[in-house]
Amino acid sequence: MTTILAAGVITELTDQFGVNLPMFIAQVINFILVIIVLKKFAFTPIQAMLEQRRKRIEEGEAKLERIEKQLAESEARTAEAIAKANEESQRLIDEAKDSAAVMSEQKTQEAIASAQNILAKAEEAAKAERAAMAAELKGEFGRLLTATTTQVTGKVLSDDDKNRLNEASLQAVK
Amino acid sequence: MTKKNIFFALVLLFSAICISGEVSAADNSHGEAASGHSAESGPHVLPLYAEKINEKFSFISNSTIMVWISVLVIIVFCRAGAGKLGILPTGFQNFAEWVIESLYNFFGGIMGEHLVKRTFWFFGATFLLIITTNYLGLIPGVGTLWVGGKPLLRGGNADVNMTAAMAFTFALLWFYWAITENGFKGFLAHIFAPKGQFKGLMLPLMIFIFGVVGVLEIVSIAIRPVALSFRLFGNIYGGEQTLEILMGLGGKWLAFLPSLPFYFMEILVGGVQALVFTLLCAVFLKLICEHSDEHGEEHH
Repeated sequence: MTTILAAGVITELTDQFGVNLPMFIAQVINFILVIIVLKKFAFTPIQAMLEQRRKRIEEGEAKLERIEKQLAESEARTAEAIAKANEESQRLIDEAKDSAAVMSEQKTQEAIASAQNILAKAEEAAKAERAAMAAELKGEFGRLLTATTTQVTGKVLSDDDKNRLNEASLQAVK
Repeated sequence: MTKKNIFFALVLLFSAICISGEVSAADNSHGEAASGHSAESGPHVLPLYAEKINEKFSFISNSTIMVWISVLVIIVFCRAGAGKLGILPTGFQNFAEWVIESLYNFFGGIMGEHLVKRTFWFFGATFLLIITTNYLGLIPGVGTLWVGGKPLLRGGNADVNMTAAMAFTFALLWFYWAITENGFKGFLAHIFAPKGQFKGLMLPLMIFIFGVVGVLEIVSIAIRPVALSFRLFGNIYGGEQTLEILMGLGGKWLAFLPSLPFYFMEILVGGVQALVFTLLCAVFLKLICEHSDEHGEEHH
């Protein structure tokens, strides 16, 4: 009884809403067609593309991480090299400073020696010149004294007189 | 889009609505004349069923034609969006990828990664077909262009044959997925077996209670495709009928005006109903596969 009633209700509903097998099957076919079209031409290629892009991004991220790591290592190595170079250059500068100080001292000493040498030579030259001037002065003085004595006394002096006079005058000048 | 283009689009929309209103009004009188109703007998009522276009081809209804148009639109979508895919997306590919990726993530959030990978082709296609058909049904001309005393086009989902086709296809697939995920024994156990650990006197009592619950579950499973079919059909048919009646209120030249706000509501309803249908299907599938899916994820 219930089955007959249910069948009656179902028949009434299907009639009222125009449900019939050919149209239903036609719509099922349409639906399956849409599924096939979308699966084959949209979902599969687009999802594959999204997956490919995701993998690429992952690879890119991994590469970026690796590059960042390498960059950090490289920066550390560079910093280490720069520190080493700074240390080396400081050492060279210190050495150069020391060397320059030694050289400067050496050159100063050489200059002092040279100056002393020049001074000694100048003194010697001055002494020699003074001696020469003194000798010349003595000669001149002797000659002047002889000439004066000759004129004052009116007598011609012999060579012995001249020598004695010169020696006496020179001893007085000294 | 420039202001000029927006202006032309609005003018075009306005003209189309005016024309459709006029045609609708004319058609109403035509329909009324055909059915023997006078203008005073009330607004035109859409038939509950899709009408055959030609008696020779009984499987082609005005709703079937709309579904074909939807299929064409979907093919164009596939060609435009996925015809020439590039690793750097450009133009329409961006939109197609956004749609598909969003749907995939949405269903993945409900069903889990394992199930969505298996079943996305069904849920994605169903959602896109329903939303496309619903929106195409709002284009002026659908239900208002008459050929041979019948409307040439009718909203695809305003036909129970279409909604039932989707719902019963899902019902079959639901059995297939449920059995392949749980195994036949697991599937029956999922429906009838007591949930929890019972000992002593409680065990036969619980076996009896869960057996009765299982019978109710079977009834519920049997009703699901019918409920899915009529929910979608009712909402779309109701929307079309509302628009039809409101167009009748505006007179010859202002037929578009009363129905205009409801067009916006129908845009919302079209999307929401597509979502509701597929969401319910996804939840039904998740519920039956939940147990085995959890085990599957534990294993992974």
